[in-house]
Amino acid sequence: MSGSDLQFTFDDQIITAKSGQSVGAALLAADVRKLRTTRFDQNPRGVFCGIGVCFDCLVVIDGIASQRACIVEVKPGMKVQTQVGSNA
Amino acid sequence: MKNPDAIVIGAGVVGACTALSLVNAGLKVLVIDRGPVASGTTGAGEGNILVSDKEPSAELTLAVRSRDAWFELNTDIGGGFELEPKGGVVVSRSEKGIANLKKLSQLQKSNGIEVVELDAAGLRKIEPLISESVEYAVLYPGDAQCQPMLAAAQIMRAVRKRGGQFIQGENVISINISSGRVIGLKTDKNNYSCPIIINATGTWAGEIANMAGSYLPIMPRRGFILVTSPVPKIVHHKVYDADYVANVASSDADLQSSAVVEGTESGTILIGASRERVGFKSGLDVAVLRQLARQAISLFPILSNMLFLRAYRGFRPYAPDHLPVIGEDANVLGLWHAAGHEGAGIGLSPATGELITALITGNKTFMDPTPFSPKRFKESAHVRI
Amino acid sequence: MHNVVIIGTGPAGLSAALSAAAAGAPVLLLDNNPRLGGQYWRTFTEDTEHEQSQHFDLETGLILINAVKARKEIEVWSGAQIWSASHQQGVNTLRVIYKGVEKIINTKNLVICTGAYDRTLPFPGWDIPGVMTPGGVQSLLKGHGVLAGKKVVVAGSGPFLLPVAAGVIKAGGSVLELLEANKSHRWLLSPLTLLENIAKFKEAFYYIKTISAGKVRARFGQAVVAAHRGDHGELESVDIAVINRNFKVKKIRNVKCDVAAIGWGFTADTSIAGALGCVQVIAKDDGVVVSVDNDQQTSIPGVFAAGEITGIGGSDLSMAEGVIAGLAAAKYVGCDVNVLKVHRKRRAKKQRFADALIKSYPVKAGWKSWLNDQTIICRCEEVDLSDLKHAIEELGATDSRTAKLLTRCGMGLCQGRVCGRSVVDLVASEIKISPTDTDRISAVNRPIISPIPLGVLAAGE
Repeated sequence: MSGSDLQFTFDDQIITAKSGQSVGAALLAADVRKLRTTRFDQNPRGVFCGIGVCFDCLVVIDGIASQRACIVEVKPGMKVQTQVGSNA
Repeated sequence: MKNPDAIVIGAGVVGACTALSLVNAGLKVLVIDRGPVASGTTGAGEGNILVSDKEPSAELTLAVRSRDAWFELNTDIGGGFELEPKGGVVVSRSEKGIANLKKLSQLQKSNGIEVVELDAAGLRKIEPLISESVEYAVLYPGDAQCQPMLAAAQIMRAVRKRGGQFIQGENVISINISSGRVIGLKTDKNNYSCPIIINATGTWAGEIANMAGSYLPIMPRRGFILVTSPVPKIVHHKVYDADYVANVASSDADLQSSAVVEGTESGTILIGASRERVGFKSGLDVAVLRQLARQAISLFPILSNMLFLRAYRGFRPYAPDHLPVIGEDANVLGLWHAAGHEGAGIGLSPATGELITALITGNKTFMDPTPFSPKRFKESAHVRI
Repeated sequence: MHNVVIIGTGPAGLSAALSAAAAGAPVLLLDNNPRLGGQYWRTFTEDTEHEQSQHFDLETGLILINAVKARKEIEVWSGAQIWSASHQQGVNTLRVIYKGVEKIINTKNLVICTGAYDRTLPFPGWDIPGVMTPGGVQSLLKGHGVLAGKKVVVAGSGPFLLPVAAGVIKAGGSVLELLEANKSHRWLLSPLTLLENIAKFKEAFYYIKTISAGKVRARFGQAVVAAHRGDHGELESVDIAVINRNFKVKKIRNVKCDVAAIGWGFTADTSIAGALGCVQVIAKDDGVVVSVDNDQQTSIPGVFAAGEITGIGGSDLSMAEGVIAGLAAAKYVGCDVNVLKVHRKRRAKKQRFADALIKSYPVKAGWKSWLNDQTIICRCEEVDLSDLKHAIEELGATDSRTAKLLTRCGMGLCQGRVCGRSVVDLVASEIKISPTDTDRISAVNRPIISPIPLGVLAAGE
């Protein structure tokens, strides 16, 4: 059932989300907007298209890099990290 | 350009290097391509500049000179094409393969190629993420890589700056000949008079030879390269399976592939190399892609999680004896061929340009070019595709 | 009888599935989202009352979704990601990642309803976190119940800006600015078309009512032309310009905000149809779309297309096309059914409305004057305008494909979905030529439809 509360971590921060939400949505709800830094200019990026098209909201989820925060559904205990360049 | 001294057909890396050599020798050079720069096989290559994959032979001599020529050229034109002296690591996992690799590398060493034998520990020092199944390798510090499209474009830029001209979007439709000698060519848009024509059209070189009433047995061999999304530096050299060397020399029509894995400056990892004799067959062959992926993962298990982003398909031009064709046509004076470099075209280009230029200008060549002469083909050897 | 395979569960895909199933054809319905409805009827919870606040017309969607779920002839694969599609000798092969493993579907009959995504234009600062697409802001609201920010600027062009602004207000955010780049009177171009699509008035009034209640006044002939970051690297303000008819800047003011939702209509995602080899053409808005005949059939017999990928036209037109495509596909597999005149008439009516809309919301060439040399064009590969210029002026690129290969512009993870269209325009403009249809179609060529892990590729048969 969508909507019940769950917790996951983003870097060192514990974040409460609703089940059914994407990682990106849950992070935005917690006012986290910078999800990664780019590999050449080290510029911050966040959710842009929100529907899996643009690949800008890349994060590291449970150790695997370059996952789209906007389409991966958040799960309890998930370990999400800022992606630095092409990897954590 | 009025009355060029020479016309180069083809703005791939071979045509570009040849044009630059000729321009540097003081000739007025016109380059004509039916498409943009590097729109043929050059644009679908990894950018190999290898000395490791050749047995001691005329081709190795060409490769060694060419490798140095790439670095000279890099300095000469101001770089800008990601030339990287990354070194090659050749691995083998079978007893027989290791024995062959040892033999080959010793032979190469006695011909002046720098080789470093690596045991399991030594290999892991330079490629920490390589599969545990690999326990023997040979490092070739001389191997290098560049971004081939940028290389061709940068070289063409230098050609233009030094007085050469590049006309793109014109398709050559006939070679004009008088008394057995080239006098010019005709494109779908214009006529050009010129006493010297260099055929640098790679896979399509046979067609140009036909237009001149001559022949050249150059055929396409299809190759795929997989490209991953950008990743951190996890592969530090060009790492490949010793089987690659056997495949390069093979005349087998069936699909052959051996793992070739390398990182690039832009962060992507390139995975090759397949070779098939299927004519100019287009489309993506998923079975080939899967095989390449499996072989690459068996060398670097960490690749399993990396994203496969796109695939290049190229048609590598090859002659029946798998040697490049460099020299004047067997039948038509003034028609020169610089083609048929198969998968080694990027690496061999600068030296090819030097050879052609020395032969045209009557200067001393750095090596005996006879093994590459188009005159080596008998008419009967011509296989139509 | 063969299955009719349908890709996409938005208005077109659902309609196609229902009409094919009603005609007696077994249907396999594939979608890459976890829930049915596509972008248009995206929902988060089962709580319809809550959901309706973010939709003008969720009822229609729920009716279609529930009908699809109820039909046993329709098998649904949600969360199915197609990474490769090919056509050989009458058979279409789809390679699909479904529930973590790869499945291969071979079918002679296919209906492609892969929809569209926001069209974006590059401008200085558009890569700053906080700058989003209107579709992104809406999908967060509809699909996840999350408001992207409190102080929102909604800008760009097209009627889609209205529901996005209304959605932000309904969710408790404030819309600081609602900016339409074109002039308001463009709406009056074809009053007859408006009259015959009177239901659309109701929808517009609904949004306008919501927006007015939020004390937001829409401004016309204005656009966001730059975004600025604050100390933390996030969006702090945008430059809003009064622009002329050709989108050239006349004067600029700065507005503080935390989200800027900026979109310029939509771009059809024709990747799958293109990979199969369906003929693609250029629509009136210069977008690449799939060419279809009167029965929604593409250039490949047995392969049909409906909805936004045949031309941007909104949900009503998508449904009308979906019904026809579903019927025609069912007929193709041998069902005794025909596309009726009434279906075509309905589609024609919706098409006239869509045409009027496209005409009312053009994207004018002046947008390129908003850029400077350091403006990022390709977000993935961080290629800026000066890199493109270098490829053209120094390296001799004379077409967008070569410029792309020499700069990596459009070669990143999104495979040019975001910047590809703009790059074609920018390169042509630098060279001072008009882009050819080949340039535009080549920019959407994606043999690998979406990136997949190498391990998954290796594991397949």
